[in-house]
Amino acid sequence: MPAPVAGAQDRVYVSDAMDMAFDAQTEVSDEALLVAFGNGDREAAAMLTARLAPRVLGFAARMLGGDRHEAEDVTQEAMLRLWKIAPEWRQGEAKVSTWLYRVTSNLCTDRLRKKRGVDIDAIPEPADDAPGVAAGMMQAARARALEAALAELPERQRIAVTLRHLEGQTNPEIAEVLEISVEAVESLTARGKRTLAALLGHRREELGYVED
Amino acid sequence: MSKTEHPMMDDMALEALFEASRTEAPLPSEALLARIMADAEAEAAARERPAQSPVRPRTGVIAAVLGVLGGWPAVAGMVTATVAGIWVGFAAPDQLNTLAGGLLLTDDSGFAASYELEDIVPGGAGLGTLLEEG
Repeated sequence: MPAPVAGAQDRVYVSDAMDMAFDAQTEVSDEALLVAFGNGDREAAAMLTARLAPRVLGFAARMLGGDRHEAEDVTQEAMLRLWKIAPEWRQGEAKVSTWLYRVTSNLCTDRLRKKRGVDIDAIPEPADDAPGVAAGMMQAARARALEAALAELPERQRIAVTLRHLEGQTNPEIAEVLEISVEAVESLTARGKRTLAALLGHRREELGYVED
Repeated sequence: MSKTEHPMMDDMALEALFEASRTEAPLPSEALLARIMADAEAEAAARERPAQSPVRPRTGVIAAVLGVLGGWPAVAGMVTATVAGIWVGFAAPDQLNTLAGGLLLTDDSGFAASYELEDIVPGGAGLGTLLEEG
């Protein structure tokens, strides 16, 4: 039990916020949790971690061409920046997830610049006898094929396509992450998808798409 | 012809790949979650600490005086004014006496003794008479 600290009566705790909401966990916004953590509530940090770390990790892994180790480092760093900004978080200005995607994309871009060129060969190719594999393995093969193709996209196209189609972000949210207009996001996503379609076209059969 | 050489994947097939990638997304390991929570704990603890032991910057006498005067630029101005004052007092240039209308006291005459109030207050003509009469 932590010792009571000065000003404790002013603090917002998750439990209070949850009491107000009928449906406990899902009703508390990321922002309310972040403010609660800024006031010293560790439970709020645990809930934010459970919600956001998987999304940050997934995004970072796609950005970094499937490099799991580096994606984990980026995730830890992005979350640390979230913990640091918690006390000064200005409510209502940006969504926590949008802010976090922006931090993550910047961290990934920095790492990619240092590495210059992801080693695409390091990403495992689907097995040669793919047409015969079971459905679950096909799923995994398709995911790997997509990630390999994503790694070949220019960075900003990769960010836009990943956020739109894999992370389920809206165009205005992506515009905020990339600090560009919504129209520019639409253009990036469209070009990215065209490139992906072309890159993956020759693998249709091995990925289970039968020719007409 | 070129269509068979560079086949494109249609939107539905691409959407199926996105779907596959979404379900195959990596999940954070226990170790990573523990590292993230340890950072959160350290941050929260660090924020609670500073109130109890404020680190006060050490200030010496010179720094204190400087603070009152307004820093080194203010001191530089004061030094310039002081030096100028000393020079004026020491050299007593003739021009200064001319500018002051001969009011400055100089050593080379007994003229200081012959000052009248009207000399110093030109508008006060007749003041001396008033005083005498009073």
